[in-house]
Amino acid sequence: MTPPERPSETGVCGASCGCAAGDSPGATTVDSNRNGASATSRRRFLQVLGTSGAGAAAAAACGPPDFADKMIPHLVQDDTITPGVSDTYATVLHGGPTEVPVHARVRDGRVLTVAPNERFPGGTQGLSSLNHSVLQDLYDPDRLSGPRRANRQNGQSGWDGASWDEATQAFTAAVAGAAGSAVLLTGRVTGVTARFLAAWARAAGAEHIAWEPFGHEAIGGSGYPGFDLSGADEIVCFGADFLGTWLDPEGMAASFAEARTVEGGSFAKFTFVGPRLSLTGTNADEWLEARAGTEALIAAAVANEVAAARGMPAPAHAAGVTVDRAAEVSGVDADRIRRLAEELAGSSSAVAVPPGIESQGPDAQAAQRAVEELNAVLGASGRAVVADSRTRGVNAGHREMSRLVERMRSGQVGLLVTAGANPAYALPSAMGFADAVAGVARKFALASHLDETAALADWILPSNHALESWTDAEVGSGHMALGQPVMRPVFDTRQREDVLLDAARQLGLALSAEVMAADDYAGVLRSAWTAGLGGDDQWREALKTGGAAADSLDAAAMPDFAADTAGDTGGANGTGGEAPAEAREGTPISPDRTAQAAGAGELNLVVYPTPQFYDGRGANRSWMQEQPDAITKVVWGSWVELHPETAAGLGIGRGDMVRLTSAAGQIEAPAYPYRGIRRDTVAVPMGQGHTAYGRHAEARGVNALDLLAGETDPESGALAYAGTAVTVERTGNRGRLIVTQGALDDLDREIAHAVNIDEAMHAAELAAESHEVDLTQVVEAAWDSDPNSPYRWGMVIDLNSCTGCGACVTSCYAENNIPVVGEDQAALRREMSWLRIHRFEEETADGGFTTVHQPMACQHCGDAPCEPVCPVYATYHNPEGLNVQVYNRCVGTRYCANNCPYKVRRFNWFTYDFDYPLNLQLNPDITVREVGVMEKCTMCVHRINRAKIDAKEEGRTVEDGEIQTACQSSCPTQAITFGNLKDPDSAVSRAARNVRGYHALGELGVRPAVTYLEAVTHAEMPASGHADHAGRAEH
Amino acid sequence: MSGNHPTLADANRDLTRPISRPGKRFFIVLGVTGLGILLGGGAWAYQIAAGIGVAGISHPVFWGVYITTFVFWVGIAHSGTLISAILYLFRSGWRTTINRSAEAMTIFAVMTAGLFPLIHLGRVWYFYYLMPYPSDRQIWPDFRSPLVMDVFAVGTYLTISALFWFTGLIPDFAVLRDRAKGLAYKAYGALSLGWQGSVREWRHYRRVYLYMAGIATPLVLSVHSVVSWDFALSIVPGWHSTIFAPYFVAGAIFSGVAMVVTIMIPMRWAFGLESYITERHFENMAKLILLTSMIVGYSYATELFVAYYSADPIEIESFRWRANGAYALPFWVMVFCNVVVPQALWFKKIRTTLPALFALTIFVNIGMWYERFVIIVTSLAHEYDPASWGLYTPSWVELAILVGSFCWFFFWFLLFSRSLPVISIAEVKEHLAHDLEHAADTGAASANGSQENG
Repeated sequence: MTPPERPSETGVCGASCGCAAGDSPGATTVDSNRNGASATSRRRFLQVLGTSGAGAAAAAACGPPDFADKMIPHLVQDDTITPGVSDTYATVLHGGPTEVPVHARVRDGRVLTVAPNERFPGGTQGLSSLNHSVLQDLYDPDRLSGPRRANRQNGQSGWDGASWDEATQAFTAAVAGAAGSAVLLTGRVTGVTARFLAAWARAAGAEHIAWEPFGHEAIGGSGYPGFDLSGADEIVCFGADFLGTWLDPEGMAASFAEARTVEGGSFAKFTFVGPRLSLTGTNADEWLEARAGTEALIAAAVANEVAAARGMPAPAHAAGVTVDRAAEVSGVDADRIRRLAEELAGSSSAVAVPPGIESQGPDAQAAQRAVEELNAVLGASGRAVVADSRTRGVNAGHREMSRLVERMRSGQVGLLVTAGANPAYALPSAMGFADAVAGVARKFALASHLDETAALADWILPSNHALESWTDAEVGSGHMALGQPVMRPVFDTRQREDVLLDAARQLGLALSAEVMAADDYAGVLRSAWTAGLGGDDQWREALKTGGAAADSLDAAAMPDFAADTAGDTGGANGTGGEAPAEAREGTPISPDRTAQAAGAGELNLVVYPTPQFYDGRGANRSWMQEQPDAITKVVWGSWVELHPETAAGLGIGRGDMVRLTSAAGQIEAPAYPYRGIRRDTVAVPMGQGHTAYGRHAEARGVNALDLLAGETDPESGALAYAGTAVTVERTGNRGRLIVTQGALDDLDREIAHAVNIDEAMHAAELAAESHEVDLTQVVEAAWDSDPNSPYRWGMVIDLNSCTGCGACVTSCYAENNIPVVGEDQAALRREMSWLRIHRFEEETADGGFTTVHQPMACQHCGDAPCEPVCPVYATYHNPEGLNVQVYNRCVGTRYCANNCPYKVRRFNWFTYDFDYPLNLQLNPDITVREVGVMEKCTMCVHRINRAKIDAKEEGRTVEDGEIQTACQSSCPTQAITFGNLKDPDSAVSRAARNVRGYHALGELGVRPAVTYLEAVTHAEMPASGHADHAGRAEH
Repeated sequence: MSGNHPTLADANRDLTRPISRPGKRFFIVLGVTGLGILLGGGAWAYQIAAGIGVAGISHPVFWGVYITTFVFWVGIAHSGTLISAILYLFRSGWRTTINRSAEAMTIFAVMTAGLFPLIHLGRVWYFYYLMPYPSDRQIWPDFRSPLVMDVFAVGTYLTISALFWFTGLIPDFAVLRDRAKGLAYKAYGALSLGWQGSVREWRHYRRVYLYMAGIATPLVLSVHSVVSWDFALSIVPGWHSTIFAPYFVAGAIFSGVAMVVTIMIPMRWAFGLESYITERHFENMAKLILLTSMIVGYSYATELFVAYYSADPIEIESFRWRANGAYALPFWVMVFCNVVVPQALWFKKIRTTLPALFALTIFVNIGMWYERFVIIVTSLAHEYDPASWGLYTPSWVELAILVGSFCWFFFWFLLFSRSLPVISIAEVKEHLAHDLEHAADTGAASANGSQENG
């Protein structure tokens, strides 16, 4: 076994200069011709060398380069690198709903995993699956290596390779020739990066458009609001998927979980208003099934009621919205709205969350205002909701993009530079972005992939990944995160800011002297940060910790890079043309207009982003394609959700292909009947249906945006995702719908539990009176672990905290070298995930259901059924109680998997490939398994061993909290606790004694080391659950 | 014996005739089975090269056609020892003409069955980890695992069956030796271990044969009991049941006897052995089939009843789904073939009408294969965790290997039928002599005749 990593605390760099990548080469296969000075790179040279070898021609030409036999150690060892020991660098990830400060674990010159940066001054909460999957973006075999020039002769589109010299010359010439009519189109940018891009654009006579598909234009103000749900006792969400894709999902999930603490806290009631139970909706106690786009009408009605109840003046925007009218338009029973209003009126700390992306309709801004007013009435504004907490980072909304399309079409744009944005995919095709680009004379893409937008360019200058770049970001509350390259570029790419800086120098653009004097963008960033922080030492500290807290950074002292100091610093930090004060006004919400906006069709369309693909950028990452959707558990494709009764009425079964037709277009995808959706609503996830971008994304599923006409909210200019009427029909074919979960009902088999809050409280009281449930006694029995060992590793998973987001699943993939099996194998249910998340629908007393998301991995049973059936001792019990799998010994009878009641064992049906350079991400602490071998969760035994070695060197035992499993560290809500069950004071032992604790399939008596804590809900649960619970509480 | 009595010389001639003249028909059939072996072997080679994933088995049904077919062939192997050993000990004279073929069938069936645990391994190249060999690493197999018990049970059964069969063959090898020339003479001579037919030899021979029958008899019960523990010792609902050992043994005898009939009817016709294998033999075997069919049917009913009576919702759901779920068709095929169809054997007319009997045993063979399929697949597909329920469909590789296994079995049986006496000459003559003594009252002559070639 290779020696495991050094824990992150010891390896944080930044001592001398912070250059993690540039100065730490190591003996690595990752090497590229970064400067582009010579035509032949080392890699190319070695390839040629390999190819010219006798008989090696075929092999070398087909396979990925393998330099294992050509690597030589350093003659003089680099004293900052210890082979086999990993270092951790603080950096920041871009590209999700929000920027996230992370720790990147780097070993031998390559980054292996990313984890939340616990030392970041502003704090972090977990790491989403999408953010874990940036590793696959970094090592994506489909990334561009080296510049490309379009070759569009005879109507064919092809690409010619080019040198960086040629490419930068062409770029410089294009910038020089298009002053005044150039457009620099980027994604969300903040911090120094935003200032730099704005300054560059001004100097080059270009317009900088910073645009995100999900720019939340309807939320007015100069920034995004911040929500702190932790102190709330009533939470109402009017549609936003704030646990999945909206604003700051991890941060909100953390405070949401805090508000829903059962022990010693008030257990907030959560009501979800919307047409479909999204990931957020499935965590709700009550669901008001409002039609898409009408959610905020209920907010307005409730605001009026609460204001009346509290003797406050009626809110201005909600004027005239009665409960009955809201009920009529939204399709929700008026009594339920009144009850909600009563509950909120009676609450001292209620908070409302506004509509999100999928509920953004043609009166999106009015809807936002209505919820804002409700929050004001509830007294949440300023307490739980902080306006303008986070910089927008975008200066253009959907309306500005429409204008851009018009300008391009009419030939007013002389140069289009796209960098980090993919409008050709993420705008509805009805808008005609791709066609309009044809009207632009010169098109350059600074992109990492040949995506839909880059495919339209004349030149592609491939850009570095965020993990290869110097970046920064404003991550909320004024905290700034700093990003450093953690490894050398995998491919022949350059940071986009360096390309721009290069052109600026060539053209002598009017940028400040310090910019022109800097060697590269790293120097620019450093000087700006140093100025803002006040010194070099602080810069080093910021690099080490990953950024700076709001109070330690003087933003005003940071330069704006303009040649003359008089320039304004607005740029992407503002909202562009929209004046915040104005935006606060606007038309009041009106039931008539909402009713009209919500669409008059028989079936309303909901188009929603998923946590795994977000705006489509996760689609070429195989981890994300193989990540089961949080609701449907579908992988590798698109689907259409509709209510089972609606489906039955149309004669549609699960997996039948259906055709959805709207005024703007039509799509075909397999049907997925889902109880958590209104009967008059169909829902289609976004993010699939790419026409370019890479091997996994292309020609897979459908792009839901094809159904949208591109209608906007006239006030905010936001794209209306809601409010489209569609027709649904069967095509008569069967589709390929790969669902990784069998039944959705656990049949009361004591697998997933949900209990009513009153029962949970009652049980807790009983336990306090009599005795605590001591599950540690159970798992400490003699045969569970060696009595002489000080450890019995165990885990507690709190189903009440788990939101089902799936971050732990991807974290496990990244940590444990879990292969992706691909679509065809996944269709045979051969996915390799060691950790899966069940979604069970537990029936409630009122005939509805409450959802329990349950992470399920190896339970490390004390009396494990898998162990005695193995004929060769390939799986056995180690002295610390772990159920261990010995890959070398396994012959593949698969009896252990048959005998595992939890079905958590995964079998290698083939030897799965890690295409170069994805193999560079493989964790050297973990064996890469071959065909015919069984595998499963190890409870991160390599991390346990590392901690034990460290402890042994220091002559002590492992301390509580010293070991974090990969899943645990990624969880935004800290639903997972890991530790030593033999230590009665450890966090895991304390958690396991919780009265909500139970063992999945406990009656089998296999003595699992994983204790689940019941999910708790305000919904009334059927009586059987009651008896069940009482029985358990008293044993 | 019924019908016209052959003489001892007839017996020598008739029973060795198949060995002397293999015709064109034989080689065609042999060629077809050879091609089948190539098909199955090729599929296996492909599976080893590409990975076990080319089979249709998956999560959560980790065992499928391979283990089904393994248990099927082990079951087929049961009738041989039953007929040879147990009926010998019970002095059932009618076994004489069928025991040799039944024993051969046993051996070839075990040889076929033994391939499947190898075929189903994920890493067959490490199959020897299952053997208790002296390893550097001092690791032994885990004797708690039913799969290790299987290795020993099946291995023992193969060894004893082969020895028992060979012992019975020794006098017949001597007959063949006496009629052969050249290389065949030497080969049969060596195999006959220098048999001269002396009284002393006969006395020893009869003792050895009796003792070996005694050793082999418990194996009839033990092997399939152990095989059933592959399932019964697990905690899988639908597998974990104490009825499994007797249930499997009865099923094995049921399928084994059916297979004997299936093979014997065409063989009797092809080799013209009508005067040796008579209707009486078939009728007796048909009665055995009827008896074991009812035991098997009773077992099905007991399983369902116990599932219901246990009040264990998981067990109940498992059996409810078995009969009503996605695999309801295989389940009802099983019930129809194994319980309903054999009820026809209550009629003597059916028991003695060979075409009907032949068709009926085909049903039983199919039904018994499906029985194992139903037990294995439906249980695994519908286990404890409803979120992990899933279905299984065999792939072409599994089906090719299934076909190959039948061809492999028949290939060996065909070779056997043309190189060794398919009916024990010595035992037939013993009975003939006995009959002749009583019929013609010329005891001494017959005894001499018997000794002459015996």
